[in-house]
Amino acid sequence: MTLPIEVLTGAVRGGTSILYASVGESIAETAGVVNLGTEGSMLAGALAGYAITANTGNPWVGVLAGAVAGGALAFVHAFFVLHRGANQLATGLVVLFLGLGLTSLFGAAFVSRQIHSFTAWDVPVLSKIPWVGEILFQHDPLTYLSFVLVPVTWFVLQRTGIGLLVRGAGERSEVLATYGHDVRLVQYLAVVTGGLLAGIGGAQLSTAYANSWFENMTQGRGFVAVAVVIFAARRPLAAMGGSYLFGAALALSPALQARGWAINQFALDSLPYLAVIVVLVLLGKKRAAEAPEGLQKVFELSTS
Amino acid sequence: MTALILDKFGVKAVIRWALALGAAAVAFGLLVLTKGANPFSVYSSMWTAITSSASFDGVFLKATPLILAALAVAVPAKAGLVNVGGEGQLVVGGVFAMGANLAVDGRMSGMAVLVVMCVAGAVGGALWAAIAALLRLAVGINEAVSTLLLNYLAINLMTFLIFDRWKDRNGSGQPASRPIPVVDRFPLLGNSKVHAGLLVAVVATGLVWWLLRSTRWGFQLRVVGGNPEAARRAGIRVGGTLLSAMLVGGALAGLGGVAQLAGAEFKLRQGFLLTYGYVGFLASWLARHKPINVAVAAVVLAAISITGDSLQLDSSLPAATVNVLMALVLLAVFGWTRVKAAAA
Amino acid sequence: MLAAACGSNGNDTGTPAAADGGSSSDAAPGQGSTAVGFIFVGPKDDVGYNQAAYDGAMAVKKDFPDLKVLTQENVPETDEASRIMETMIAKGAKIIFATSYGHLDPAMKVAAAHPDVVVVQQGNFIKDTVPANTGTYFGTVYEPVYLAGIAAGKATKTNKLGYVYAFPIPQTIANIDAFELGAQSVNPKAETYVVNTSNWCDPAKQAEAAKSLLAQGVDVLTQHQDCTGTITKAAEAAGAMVVGYHADASSLAPKGWVTGSEWDWKAMFEDIVKTALDGKFTGSKYNANFRSGLKDGLNPFVQSKYGPSVTQATKDLIAKAATDIAGPGSPFKGPVVAQDGAQLFPAGKVPTYAEIEAAATVFVKGVVGEIPKG
Repeated sequence: MTLPIEVLTGAVRGGTSILYASVGESIAETAGVVNLGTEGSMLAGALAGYAITANTGNPWVGVLAGAVAGGALAFVHAFFVLHRGANQLATGLVVLFLGLGLTSLFGAAFVSRQIHSFTAWDVPVLSKIPWVGEILFQHDPLTYLSFVLVPVTWFVLQRTGIGLLVRGAGERSEVLATYGHDVRLVQYLAVVTGGLLAGIGGAQLSTAYANSWFENMTQGRGFVAVAVVIFAARRPLAAMGGSYLFGAALALSPALQARGWAINQFALDSLPYLAVIVVLVLLGKKRAAEAPEGLQKVFELSTS
Repeated sequence: MTALILDKFGVKAVIRWALALGAAAVAFGLLVLTKGANPFSVYSSMWTAITSSASFDGVFLKATPLILAALAVAVPAKAGLVNVGGEGQLVVGGVFAMGANLAVDGRMSGMAVLVVMCVAGAVGGALWAAIAALLRLAVGINEAVSTLLLNYLAINLMTFLIFDRWKDRNGSGQPASRPIPVVDRFPLLGNSKVHAGLLVAVVATGLVWWLLRSTRWGFQLRVVGGNPEAARRAGIRVGGTLLSAMLVGGALAGLGGVAQLAGAEFKLRQGFLLTYGYVGFLASWLARHKPINVAVAAVVLAAISITGDSLQLDSSLPAATVNVLMALVLLAVFGWTRVKAAAA
Repeated sequence: MLAAACGSNGNDTGTPAAADGGSSSDAAPGQGSTAVGFIFVGPKDDVGYNQAAYDGAMAVKKDFPDLKVLTQENVPETDEASRIMETMIAKGAKIIFATSYGHLDPAMKVAAAHPDVVVVQQGNFIKDTVPANTGTYFGTVYEPVYLAGIAAGKATKTNKLGYVYAFPIPQTIANIDAFELGAQSVNPKAETYVVNTSNWCDPAKQAEAAKSLLAQGVDVLTQHQDCTGTITKAAEAAGAMVVGYHADASSLAPKGWVTGSEWDWKAMFEDIVKTALDGKFTGSKYNANFRSGLKDGLNPFVQSKYGPSVTQATKDLIAKAATDIAGPGSPFKGPVVAQDGAQLFPAGKVPTYAEIEAAATVFVKGVVGEIPKG
């Protein structure tokens, strides 16, 4: 396998868990709610996915459980932010610690358990296409599902009535309320959907990618997802690019090493973050103006 | 401890706090019950754990950088800024202090080096925070976003250095800087395990309290934080005020990095002050950014996190389970101890 | 600003701070301890390094019923570890096992503050004078790794072996070198490709490292990671063969399992505990950088069972090599040449354990990959 193909394949493989979480966070942020607890939802999804796969023998049931666990933690975030008026950023971090603690407590019993994980499945015909086939179509089923998720999310958010409601909840909540819609309900659903997707991302990590469960195994990927959403300005397709960018940075080091070149991983790891900042600087003012009004409010000057 | 945080509240508030914290404690008790542990014995051994002399030192050892990390959030918050970057500013403080120690390299020693390291660390933290402030002022990037991103760059920067230029060639092969010489370290306080960095944290708390309360700068911060438009009309330079708030915040976190490096860790290594920035952030929000209370909250969170040791040693539960208790306490406080704000 | 009541903070050279904290110093370190503490960097059931050490701790618990055995998992390799060891000491432990490589600094700090407590560390090396109450212990695990290398060298069809490791520390480099030397001894064309993860247990990074090596045509994978499940399963899923490390993971790779090296700490842990309890630690062989292996027969490791593909001829080769190592030979018997052609050990030289550990800063010829600079 040539280096570029290997790195791009690795980018898709390693970026998929981040992609789920960042698409989810895009939905939440479109509705005007930031969830730093995405990392916690991913962890919950990783454990629930692994544990239920171990107990049922079916990774699809596991992924479903992962989604539910991720959504449940996101619900906690939504409740405190939307119902109790707590600060979004602080609450998100608390949810992260909650997820870390709960998965440590309930995860200890599953460290040594084994599962029948997802296996790679080559897509007929498509996987034979030179280059593209290797990069995109020789993965686990959850990866293919993410290929569908991205355009669907884009379509729903941009072209349907549901999307209008979600965007309205983030941008013009007063207008939405005037027309008799329950803004808070829309936001609840958006945040919980975001958590469900982060949970699937976590489950992908434990049941399709690493095939094991360890305490804190997401290692910051949930925060990466939040960074990707910043980079992508909540657009699912751009989130895909951003997730693969981070995935590529992770894949490049082992690919180079396996060819005999030592490389400082941490210089590579910095590049995607620098890229995000550069993009923000280049598009900064425009982006800031485009952000949903509700989101701007979170980031506005406010002390309470 | 909570009584201290409550200083200005009325009886109703005290009841509300008691109920919230009580509910958090009950919820955590039920949780450990599901894992077959007796909540009463769990709590009693947790209490013994933080009040025994060895762990009591541990609380203040852990609280030292945490107090400074929390103040680093509180000062910008007065001006309405959200500094999520304590994590990175702590690390950069440590990196600058280590750099200073390497640069001095034995040409000076003792207290003089410690002062140089403190200055370097504070400058490092301030510069790191200033990046976020400038991005906000020049390009309109929100500081919550940029400080979050800068955290990862800071950690990567430190890790890059200890895997590369700063790796101790006489070390064990695992990436770490060389140790800070014994004479350049914060001395221990008496017979305790607590080092003099705690005094720095305490002095900083008092200083911040005084600055915010009694100086013109503190007044400007509060005005800008309250209503930037009004501040502008009143002739306050909003941009400069915001920048100064971030600089002071970053410098405080930078000092936290120095305290840990020169007081406890002695080397830069992977995992240096990991998650301290986020816990500090929560301490500041827990205490609503009031300096004295923030310091107390940092000590409380340090104590809670240390009870995790006891969870495993005494009750055979994973130590990290303690994060659930911390989260429940914070959620209870965020959700039920104040008049409900308008839904966002 | 600082009052005179300040003590100095930490001892590099290791001379225990006398009368610091007022512990009764008439007893020998560790003597009469009522408890023994073990700290682990990872979870106790990681099918790897920590599981092996935990099993050792449980053996101590079983065979010393009067001793309270305190264990703490997931202890980071930072100063946090000091606090946990302090807590164990406060609970009566006068014998502490700090079982991860990166626990050495906190272990030395705690030992300096408590001259009456024996603190031993697993796998690292104390460079300066070894204080009276400390020591490091380890097994010359590169010996069974060499034997596993023979199996790998016979098993490979592509002549490419893959090694995923965490950090370029001496014990790891010695293992990688021995693995390659073992393979070379039966298959001169065998090369070992290496990838590091900079983490003892990051399953996602392990998965990526395994993929990268497999993509290079590697058909036998092995590893030096604390948790071993991910790479073992990745090899099995890819139809590659796998050589185990730390623990028996053969059930994870029923087809591809070749053999491996496992720890069995029971005898050594119990002997250290007994030595300390008897007040004989200071001046004992453990009050040093203690290493043992096939030559002295105290080896704290065993070779894992063979997988289905290993032929009798290969098993015979390995048995012969094992006898040789236990006798006059060594995995590093000269000539051993480094990657750059420099001579590590001249022809005929049988280096000592200490010499091997000291030379383990470079890869031998046949290893493909660079050691990260530093």
